Amino acid sequence: MAKYIEMIRIRFLMMLAYRTNYYSGILIYSINIGAYYFLWSAIYGDKGSIQSLSIGQMTTYIAVAWMARAFYFNNIDREIAMEIKEGKVAIEMIRPYNYLTMKMMQGLGEGIFRILFFSLPGMVIVYFLFPVSFSAHPLTWVYFLGSILLSFMINTQINLLTGIATFFLFNNAGLIRAKRVVIDLFSGLILPISFFPGWAQTVMDYLPFKGISYIPSMIFTEGFQGVQIWNGLMNQAVWVILLFLPIGMLWTLAKRQLIVQGG
Amino acid sequence: MSYVSIFFQYASQYLKTRLTYRADALVEIISDLLSQAVNLIFILVVFGHTSLLSGWSRDEMIFIYGFFLVPFALFGAFFNIWDFTDRYIVKGEMDRILTRPIHSLFQIILERMELESLFGAVTGIVIMIVSASQLHLTFHWYDLFVFLLLAFSGAMVYAGIFISLASIGFWSDSRTDIMPMMYNIGNYGRYPVNIYNKVIRWVLTWILPFAFVGVYPSAYFLGKEEWYTYTYLTPVIGIVFFFISLFLWNKGVTKYRGAGN
Amino acid sequence: MNYIIDVNGLRKEFKSHASRSGLKGAFRDLFTRNYSTKTAVNGISLQIKPGEMVGYIGENGAGKSTTIKMLTGILTPTSGTVSVNGMDPHRDREQFVRSIGVVFGQRSQLWWDIAVQESFRLLKKVYNVSDAFYETHMEDVISTLNIEPLLNQPVRKLSLGQRMRCELAAALIHNPPLLFLDEPTIGLDVLVKLKIREFLKKINEKYGTTILLTTHDLSDIEALCERVIMLDEGNIIYDGALQQLRENWGEGKQIQFVFSEEVSLQTLQQLTAGYLVVWEQGDNGASWTASIDDDEDIISGVIGKVVSSIKIIDLKMAETTTEEIIRNIYEEGAIRNG
Repeated sequence: MAKYIEMIRIRFLMMLAYRTNYYSGILIYSINIGAYYFLWSAIYGDKGSIQSLSIGQMTTYIAVAWMARAFYFNNIDREIAMEIKEGKVAIEMIRPYNYLTMKMMQGLGEGIFRILFFSLPGMVIVYFLFPVSFSAHPLTWVYFLGSILLSFMINTQINLLTGIATFFLFNNAGLIRAKRVVIDLFSGLILPISFFPGWAQTVMDYLPFKGISYIPSMIFTEGFQGVQIWNGLMNQAVWVILLFLPIGMLWTLAKRQLIVQGG
Repeated sequence: MSYVSIFFQYASQYLKTRLTYRADALVEIISDLLSQAVNLIFILVVFGHTSLLSGWSRDEMIFIYGFFLVPFALFGAFFNIWDFTDRYIVKGEMDRILTRPIHSLFQIILERMELESLFGAVTGIVIMIVSASQLHLTFHWYDLFVFLLLAFSGAMVYAGIFISLASIGFWSDSRTDIMPMMYNIGNYGRYPVNIYNKVIRWVLTWILPFAFVGVYPSAYFLGKEEWYTYTYLTPVIGIVFFFISLFLWNKGVTKYRGAGN
Repeated sequence: MNYIIDVNGLRKEFKSHASRSGLKGAFRDLFTRNYSTKTAVNGISLQIKPGEMVGYIGENGAGKSTTIKMLTGILTPTSGTVSVNGMDPHRDREQFVRSIGVVFGQRSQLWWDIAVQESFRLLKKVYNVSDAFYETHMEDVISTLNIEPLLNQPVRKLSLGQRMRCELAAALIHNPPLLFLDEPTIGLDVLVKLKIREFLKKINEKYGTTILLTTHDLSDIEALCERVIMLDEGNIIYDGALQQLRENWGEGKQIQFVFSEEVSLQTLQQLTAGYLVVWEQGDNGASWTASIDDDEDIISGVIGKVVSSIKIIDLKMAETTTEEIIRNIYEEGAIRNG
């Protein structure tokens, strides 16, 4: 376990080393939140609420969705793809750790860095610029923290899946891009799931994506109350467990492929 | 001109390689289509809850999006050098580029082109035609040339911004998230800029002029006369930003430090 | 004098920042950084005549690659003047690089996914080489390097040795009068090395190609270059004939004796009392090495005296290798006047 924690620390330090990243990150995240804020203000016009979300809640929803994205977002799919292409995976395999766990820990190190250095200062800026409201209930924050941890898990698992897919596709940049687009839409990052037509919402109930952004954001904006919170968290947890299955299967196949092709 | 014949030489090599890996090219095109679909879905869902967005109707929004896809496809096919710092500076591929007798940026454009992105232009044109018929728009014969001019200008704006960003790599090879995030900001140009507040509108017009890729040129075809000044400015902005980026690039090349230093 | 490479007071500095260690240090780095200037090439001057084959050697970080990159127009010098083929490499880059060929041992010039042949064709276009010239010239290069069977394979399928031969051919498509080779034989096996050296000699003779070569493998230099330039910490510490380097630094001859029985140092010293000899014991009491000046009288004198009174099993004469010479030079840090 110690070596995985070390990996988180190393990745954290690596992120710290890239300081231009840090300055630009806050600015760009704020711009992103701002742009969506104006878009939604225009959409709301003089309507008080849409789908039982007030414009204030909507603004908070956008802000927190982006903040959470900073935490769960990572490029490990692209990294895995690169390492496979460059033949480094074969070397990684003989190291005394589990490659996939290691990648996940790197993602976590990045996530912790981003939430501390992008999201928190970014939220302070956003707080002064836009009418964002934060919950006064400490319990909401606890649920939210639990929820974004689970959303990190789900997103990272999906990234692992797309990364491993490189073994079977020569160049899976397209797949990685497609995945990102799908996640932005279906996770509720750019649009709360409740805004979709009913049939689409039903479809999304059977997909893991809404656990990535929609559930934690709804918890934070208190758009979810009481039992809804627990249902949301349960939904995420179930997906975390379910996703281990395809990863395990694909990884076993990939390792076999690696032996045949020699990386 | 020899650059033209070199371009075709590279393009034919590119197609040969792409045909060897057909499946990947197909996945890429599908993923492009998917991303376009997602953006359309966004507009459709939003208009499920409102009928006008700061004075723009659903079909007008869709038309703007369709137009935006054309310059964006041109950009994606030729100027999509988001991994420049990593690939050419950190890994030192720039060394090789600089030992060849062709302008370095042109070589990189040749090496990094992704012609399948051009399918996006087709999608864009289809979307424009569909929404134009919904809106009962009328066109003149010269509108085709106006369209080409505006689309190329939009692509130059995009190219200018991304080449400028890539040039930063000559001064600092730190990994940054600027490139991927700039794609997000670029997307705001496809919504009408009057929904934003003054500061953002100003940024999208003069600093990161993404508004000249989507809404300003589209306004011409939609007959929104209040925006015509900006429409006419589109080629100017495109040229200015492209030349600024060329200047930065040429300046940057003299600052190149080589790999491993 | 007409020089193909004429460099005066060439200097290159790199600004770099030192990271502080640990988590706390990294936090401090976020706000302020320690910048330091490192001089990679410290005001060197060198002239090379057309047709020369020059070895450019030095330890890692001595400034070899930086010099080569300035000579090829990749890097801009901090100060000093560079004239290569009569041009300023960086300022006239696009025009200039038509007149040189470059091979980086650790970096491929060829396109990974396409066949070697296609890479050549692309480069032919890039360098604007006419069909007629390409056909006669490349046919010669291809057959000399023996790469015909490789032409239809994609580069990624070639072995290192095969690839390097193709790289050389690629660098010569436009028949440049000047060829830069940066570690061309790194990682290659002996046979391929020999082939490449032979080829370089041949193009040097046939086309009068000037060659500047950096390498870790001194046998490359011995086989190819009459002149060596040695670099240490950004300064040229030796520029002259390889032969002279040997003579000045060869430190005489060593004669290794293996006697049939154990012999004491005293006996040997008494025997050769008339000569300046340093005796050193080998593995056991029966094997000794005599270090003497490289002088035929002394050599025959010492051997004569020893052989006439002690029985020997084996006798070997050894000359200091170039590698040892160079190691000695670096250890002493400066060159002895010759």
